[in-house]
Amino acid sequence: MRSSAVDNGLRTGVTFGIVIVTMFLIGFTVTGAGLIGKLFGASDSATPSLMFYSLFMILIGMWAGASASPRPLTEADTFKRALISGLVAGLVSGAIAAVIGFIFGDLSANKIDPRTYLPSVSPDSIKLFLFNQTPLMGSLTLLALMTVSAAVSAALSFFFRSNHWLKNKSGETSNAARGFFQSAGLNRVLQSQYASYVFWAITAVVLIILPRVWGSYWNYVFGTVGIYIILGLGLNIITGWAGQLVIGYVAFFAIGAYTFALLTAPEPHHLTVNFWVALALGVLVAGISGLLIGLPILNLRGDYLAIVTLGFAEIIRILLKSDLMTDYTAGPRGIRDIGGPTILGKPFVSDVDFMYVIIVAVLAVTFIAHRLRNSRTGKAWFAINLDETVARATGINAFGSKLLALSLSAAVAGLAGALFASRNQFTGPDDHALMVSINVICLVIVGGIGNIPGVFLGAFALKGLPEILRETESYRLLIFGVLLVIMMRLRPEGFLPARRPELEKHAAQTPSGKEA
Amino acid sequence: MPACIQTKKVSKIFGGLTAVNSVDVVVPENAIASIIGPNGAGKTTLFNCISGYYVPEHGEILFYDMPIQGQPTYEVATMGIARTYQNIRLFGEMTAIENIMVGQYPRFKAGWVDAILSTPRERSEEKQAVEEGRRLLKFVGLEGLGDSLARNLPYGAQRRLEIARALANKPRLLLLDEPTAGMNPQETEKMTHFIRSLRDELGITILLIEHDMRVVMGISDQITVLDYGTKIAEGKPKDIQSNQRVIEAYLGPDVTSLTQKYQLRKKQRYAKS
Repeated sequence: MRSSAVDNGLRTGVTFGIVIVTMFLIGFTVTGAGLIGKLFGASDSATPSLMFYSLFMILIGMWAGASASPRPLTEADTFKRALISGLVAGLVSGAIAAVIGFIFGDLSANKIDPRTYLPSVSPDSIKLFLFNQTPLMGSLTLLALMTVSAAVSAALSFFFRSNHWLKNKSGETSNAARGFFQSAGLNRVLQSQYASYVFWAITAVVLIILPRVWGSYWNYVFGTVGIYIILGLGLNIITGWAGQLVIGYVAFFAIGAYTFALLTAPEPHHLTVNFWVALALGVLVAGISGLLIGLPILNLRGDYLAIVTLGFAEIIRILLKSDLMTDYTAGPRGIRDIGGPTILGKPFVSDVDFMYVIIVAVLAVTFIAHRLRNSRTGKAWFAINLDETVARATGINAFGSKLLALSLSAAVAGLAGALFASRNQFTGPDDHALMVSINVICLVIVGGIGNIPGVFLGAFALKGLPEILRETESYRLLIFGVLLVIMMRLRPEGFLPARRPELEKHAAQTPSGKEA
Repeated sequence: MPACIQTKKVSKIFGGLTAVNSVDVVVPENAIASIIGPNGAGKTTLFNCISGYYVPEHGEILFYDMPIQGQPTYEVATMGIARTYQNIRLFGEMTAIENIMVGQYPRFKAGWVDAILSTPRERSEEKQAVEEGRRLLKFVGLEGLGDSLARNLPYGAQRRLEIARALANKPRLLLLDEPTAGMNPQETEKMTHFIRSLRDELGITILLIEHDMRVVMGISDQITVLDYGTKIAEGKPKDIQSNQRVIEAYLGPDVTSLTQKYQLRKKQRYAKS
């Protein structure tokens, strides 16, 4: 059994060694350390200090250790085995990095500049990679740092996992972790009722304060994230729950945006409808369009439905762009000077104000989605998703249910579209390209299909992260791509996969369920 | 006793193949009736016609004297016809109790607006649904397994859960497609008792397809035999067992002459030695 612990560590170690070397070769060690420096408020991210670089490497080492530690935990896994795995992983990855570091350090010491072949490996980055030491001392430091951090994190993650495991299998004894966590009483605190009140209070305060303090740039970024959360929650209804792949979701986004824009912009129709009325109309029109589109196509299944909705989205976009519609929709120029929100006649349009509007909209849609999820309607959708034939045979009107799901989805997309148009004060055909649909589908899948928190996470990861990573300039998309690949490898069901509620147990706990 | 379900000259044609050919079946209320026949005889097709999945080309299907052929599946289910499948078809990613709650769908009224506003109707229905779900779980012997995902349940439990889901809509007619398929003798015995108790305790009329002759002969009040889509015999278990056409359908047309030949040869061999 010991050999498998070593094997495990070896495999992880090699992977992480290669990752470290690759990062070094593309110059990412400097950028990464700079990012960490930025987090701690250092002003100059181009020449990061040694401390931040060490921290960066320790983080990587800890990641290596955590992934080397056994998972899922079984009876046979002991603390010793976890430690060995972590130790081996750290040693191996450290050794690989150290060898490469030593070679480059030696080259550099002999005045050979590797930049001829590897443009990112500057003498400075080599020096940083070796902690400003001689090649030998530097590589040994690297080795030691990786080994220690991986071993520590393997041990830590063993403790966390064994605690989790013990919760599932109470009655098992003889584990050091158990006493440790029970004495801490952490779980009891986290699971108490008051914890959730405190959590919500903190969230509310944060949501009220944040838009005021973090400036218009972040309001813009998180406004976009919020709009994509709304879109994701909407798509989640028809695709995540009812299981109908609607690729042309952007069509409803466009319908909402244009309905709102045409009602509030001076051109082309000279209408200045109140923000809230126009918003409601945008939602309504989008919902009705979902109903009308659904009527002829929802008998189709799977791929066919996807293709038909794809076509629909393109038709909408091309119509908006065409000369034919210029008089009605302003054609390819788009619509400018779209109205903003007002409260009791007073304008409410600053970036902070609009952020509040988006936050309220996100909360409202989340609330609705949450209520629908486990309702009778939600169960019918999920049944159709899993086996439509059987769902029909249990008395579910599958067509009607799917139609309802599509209209609700479309209405939510309409809300997102109207908010989007109003915030930008402009909307044109290019805002409604197919890429929007694909982004929304991606974020739903990445977050964990069918799950509400998953949509939030997916929206932050797909729309927020690229902005946060803007510092890293040319590596932005690389990191983003790597993160996506890693995530889908580690968690193919999405980051936060959906869980089913425990109705039987729940009913048993409430007094009303006792006599049943 | 009134007829619960009645098919009148029902035919279902797929291209050139007549899967069910002008079949008449009458199942009286509160009876246990079986349909048997060799593979491909059209038994499941007949089931699919009754449950509304197929629309028969000819004939009439009457459920308590009401024509139901051509009605959408969900309407038929709402009227009180429930079914199970030959190869178990549960909602695998849902928990056991949720499967039952989906089965209760037609009995409740709360829609999406109720769900969003959490109206009193929504809340009382939800409570009732969970309670009845728990009761059904207990009835089929799955108490305590309600929160496991259906796909993680053992085979026998899945069969029983499928029946529980079918019962959730309080059906008047239950169609069981090979309920004991893949079960060992003890499990089959239990299932037979269980099916009988459904009729005796809940008063549900039962129509089942079954290959296990011991089960069929043991619990049926009436047996219908199909072969190549045509009804070849009908009657009480005793009549079916001795029916010449049934034996031929199962064992081949020459079976009587073959047996005679075999016995003759045996006699000759004994005579020689």
